[in-house]
Amino acid sequence: MTSAPSLAPAVVRPAQIDAPEPLLTPAAPAAPVAPVPDPVPSDGSVASYGSALPDWSIGEWFGYSALALTAVGLTVIAVTTLWWMLHAWRDVASLAATRFPAEPKEAAHRFTLLVPARHEEQVLGETLDRLAGQTHPDFEIIAIVGHDDPGTELVAREAAARHPDLIRVVVDDSVPKNKPKALNLALTVSTGDVVGVFDAEDEVHPHLLALVDTRFEETNADVVQGGVQLMNFQSSWWALRNVLEYYFWFRSRLHFHAKSRFIPLGGNTVFVKRAWLDWSHGWDADCLAEDCELGVRLSSAGARVVVAYSPDVVTREETPGTFTSLYKQRTRWNQGFLQVLGKGEWRGLPTRRQRGFARYLLSMPFLQAATGLLVPVSILLALLVKVPAPLALLTFLPLVPTVITVAAEIAGLAEFGRLYGPKPRFIDYVKLVLGTFPFQLFLAGAAVRAVFRQVKGDNSWEKTEHTGAHRDTAAAPSHPRSTELVGASGLSARTAGTPTIENEAHR
Amino acid sequence: MTSILERPGGTREDTRDLTDAPGTPAKGAAAGFPAPPGGSGGDGGSGGSGGDRSPIRAVTAAVRRHAAVLAWLLPTLAISAFVQLVNLGGSPQRIDDEGTYTAQAWAIGAFGELTHYTYWYDHPPVGWIQIAAYTGLTGAFGRYDVAVLAAREAMVFATLVSVALLWFLARRLSFSRPAATAAALVFALSPLALQFHRSVYLDNIATAWLLGAILLALSRRHQLAAFAGSGAAFGIAVLSKETYLLALPLLAWVIWRNASPSTRRYTLTVAASILVLVGGSYLALALVKGEVAPGSNRVSLFDGVMFQLADRGSSGSLLDPESLLNRTLAMWWQLDPVLVVASLAAAVAGLLVRALRPFAILTLALTLFMLRPGGYLPVPYVIMLIPFGALLIAGVTDTAVRSFTRAGPGGRTARAAWIVGTVVAAVAIVPLWGTQLRGFLLADLDRPMRSAQTWIETNVQRDSTLVVDDAMWVDLVRSGFDRDNVIWYYKVDTDPAVTATLPNGWRDVDYVVTTDSMRTFPTAFSRVSDAIANSLVVASFGEGSTQVDIRRVDPDGLEQADADAQASIEARAAAGTALAQNPRLTLGGETRALLVAGMVDSRVILALAELLASSEVTVDDFPILEGEGDAVRRQVLVTALDGQSAATGAVGTTTTAWFEGLSGALAARAVDSIDGGVIATFSMDEPAGLLPGVVG
Repeated sequence: MTSAPSLAPAVVRPAQIDAPEPLLTPAAPAAPVAPVPDPVPSDGSVASYGSALPDWSIGEWFGYSALALTAVGLTVIAVTTLWWMLHAWRDVASLAATRFPAEPKEAAHRFTLLVPARHEEQVLGETLDRLAGQTHPDFEIIAIVGHDDPGTELVAREAAARHPDLIRVVVDDSVPKNKPKALNLALTVSTGDVVGVFDAEDEVHPHLLALVDTRFEETNADVVQGGVQLMNFQSSWWALRNVLEYYFWFRSRLHFHAKSRFIPLGGNTVFVKRAWLDWSHGWDADCLAEDCELGVRLSSAGARVVVAYSPDVVTREETPGTFTSLYKQRTRWNQGFLQVLGKGEWRGLPTRRQRGFARYLLSMPFLQAATGLLVPVSILLALLVKVPAPLALLTFLPLVPTVITVAAEIAGLAEFGRLYGPKPRFIDYVKLVLGTFPFQLFLAGAAVRAVFRQVKGDNSWEKTEHTGAHRDTAAAPSHPRSTELVGASGLSARTAGTPTIENEAHR
Repeated sequence: MTSILERPGGTREDTRDLTDAPGTPAKGAAAGFPAPPGGSGGDGGSGGSGGDRSPIRAVTAAVRRHAAVLAWLLPTLAISAFVQLVNLGGSPQRIDDEGTYTAQAWAIGAFGELTHYTYWYDHPPVGWIQIAAYTGLTGAFGRYDVAVLAAREAMVFATLVSVALLWFLARRLSFSRPAATAAALVFALSPLALQFHRSVYLDNIATAWLLGAILLALSRRHQLAAFAGSGAAFGIAVLSKETYLLALPLLAWVIWRNASPSTRRYTLTVAASILVLVGGSYLALALVKGEVAPGSNRVSLFDGVMFQLADRGSSGSLLDPESLLNRTLAMWWQLDPVLVVASLAAAVAGLLVRALRPFAILTLALTLFMLRPGGYLPVPYVIMLIPFGALLIAGVTDTAVRSFTRAGPGGRTARAAWIVGTVVAAVAIVPLWGTQLRGFLLADLDRPMRSAQTWIETNVQRDSTLVVDDAMWVDLVRSGFDRDNVIWYYKVDTDPAVTATLPNGWRDVDYVVTTDSMRTFPTAFSRVSDAIANSLVVASFGEGSTQVDIRRVDPDGLEQADADAQASIEARAAAGTALAQNPRLTLGGETRALLVAGMVDSRVILALAELLASSEVTVDDFPILEGEGDAVRRQVLVTALDGQSAATGAVGTTTTAWFEGLSGALAARAVDSIDGGVIATFSMDEPAGLLPGVVG
């Protein structure tokens, strides 16, 4: 068939159209005419929905995945930390449940209060006097002092003389010395069916024992952990952060751990039924965080631990006197956590969920330190290195719980000031916010040092010195209020920063 | 290890044994430990207490409790779903905005990009990201020929979520179940609501999040988590549709009023931080894209925000009957005057009911804000008002009924008046809603759009450049047009990247498809206007506000196009007249007149001429294609060859084969056997010069 016709003009004259032949005969085109393409789409090459994976190299896949996983992991850690930190306030009912009963009931237990003291003659006397003033009808106090520490021993004996029916002094002649050894020694002579521990600088509310007794009775507890609160938030930027750490730890987070039935106990204001201490052989003298270790062991064995925090009856303490001693204290705790993790008592927990939780909790100081360091790093990385926009956005994700945490800390500082005074100044809030990252650096440093010491096998005991900065001047007129000054003088008085028994503790 | 030691109160047992009986070792009497006095308190928690109620009774009670909820809620949801879904694609007609959000959602899945054009921070993207999530998870784009319907289905989902949330919100505000159901049904069934709920508006998504945020803000237990969720939900609402930020005072008030004082310090801090952080993610998006501050040759968050806040033209005054404001209000009024009046009345009355006061104030404030002089009123603004209107109407009525006996004489009069008014309104809406809902359930207003799309997909070459309403953008790209050649009319003059693809301005455009959205768009676009002014309608579908015109642009201008058309008609008339005189050709009906008038395509004339060379031919019609009005006929219906019917049998087959055999410039686009004969259809583009004097 002929195609693409074109007509000779002559053919179309109407006048000629009279013959029987068809006049409009198509002929070959005189000039090429653009062919008409088929307008119907042939196939393919149409954008399909749900397109393929992005076109990345293996290195990019690896790097981007690592960045994304880091961001998600950091977020998970920061969110759990935040959730634990705010646990007590999740509900009105749960906040009410964190408190001691309003009124003590009739006493049902005899208490033994252990007060180990080491080079703490400045504060021990007043502490013992205050403890002796407890309203509870049936208790005894045992002060434990070292045989090489006559100053502290003298203060303790003077207090015992003032309260001959209540206070006894036990002299610990073991070498090297540490807190769990002292406690275990005193345990052998104690007579109470509930044993409580206080530190030499603790300021204890006179009703505390009566309330703790009631708590034991109301909850059928085996262990009661009372609130401990650092007070001197205006001493320095790190003291501020340290105070808030305690506040959130004792007011909120410990309650979560108690509810999860896995709890590292605090070092003081902790009360344990004598029978459980006999079962546990007291405290682990080889552990740097003997309090945490005992808590882990007791909760793994099914002891019922109850935490109670009422702002009016918390045991008041001070932060370590210097940044260095805070650093050593934190290192010791972290190393203690590592020891507890390695000791593996938590493997005896009944459920897989609890064991996983224990592992996570004991690793937390290190995870938390990593979070604090990696959050800014990953954000910087995302901004400086060219990465796809969704991934860059993802790296901001850990910032979300971090910012909420800081906001909650601001709220916590305001509440702390209202509860305990003084009212925080504007500069305190500024310090709080600006101190966030430096304190994370500090925590990371302590975590790294703990790991380093643990790997090296260095288990020496770095004790924290105390000076009484949390006590107001009326109660302890001889003690200067400024922690920094006192800490410094304390250091110089005790030969180049070893107010501790570190040097004798090397094994 | 201490495992062999006797634990207090326990017998000798391995530590492992505790895994079977957590909490038991302390309870024995052997070591002098008293048995627990039953249950335990405090944070110590208890392993097994709390079982003083029989589990079966607890389950039964739970079922009964939920049965009451479900008995009211499920029918409400079913009715809402029915009204939403039936004729979803028919009414209302798709509009440009719907197409834009659909195309943006589709671009996420299809191109991995946030929008089908450069994202310029006009709205936060979370709204259409959610549409993309819905369509991606359900495969909705694969289920519809018309892409906008996939997004409309997402709207149905969002609306049903909102219906349920509104029901629970009403219950949380202590409405009776019938009142809660009434609120949900007004929200779902009002024609005003239905019109907007069916349309792809981001506001519908934001409504669900806002209602969720308020519901969480009203929770009494677990306030920390609830308020955190409330802040997050509200943040998402605002990122879905930024105008929902106007509801912030309401939410803040509700949260503050409901917060327990002892935990308020933390719950509010967390909620506020989360809200700020969710909002900040928009800033973070701009930050990682390096588009926060304005710069030359690029979009920026700043410019986008300034556009919304400052550059939007005023919708005019309430006093000006021709203003955009008045036209928008008239549209709302036409859809459901009862809802409009009843909502405002209920908002005023709601000021007196404590639980409803925040919602009443929000409704009145939003209404006043809308009428502010010189302001811009987005058409879907009403979507945020509908749930609160429905809530207030049901809530005030519920309160009036339930507090009737407790009120004093004056109060009773007021309550009686309100109840009578509600009854009157309820009677009034039966005919009003009935008529409107009939239209929503039966009328196919979108048909012109679909016909126009089909026409384009059938008749327009794939390399053509089209300027279109966004409502058909995805469909045309999916039908094979290059995404760069299907241009959303809004972008022709506003997006430098698009303008750059049209160096000769409107002359580079082949077709413009005009819709009501385009015809009524408030801003004038010079290139689009020029293209329309220099084009002729080649197909038109529907009429009035649903009319869709397909216009072919003549790059030489309209005058030249008219002249060319006239010359072509004369040339075809000459050839057609000659053909009509062929004695072997039998012409039925109007066909002779069409041939003589020059209204038959030159390819039809030439094909018939060639066929006449071998056979006698009977032509019964030169059918016009749907939508082409009085255009040149490019179809021919051959009913017989040599006197034998071409409808069936060998002759039909021969005729079909002959037309299919045409090739080159004469090639037929389609040859179909139908009742009565064979129809050959030629393409839209009549080649120039086939007949002397015919200009393409």
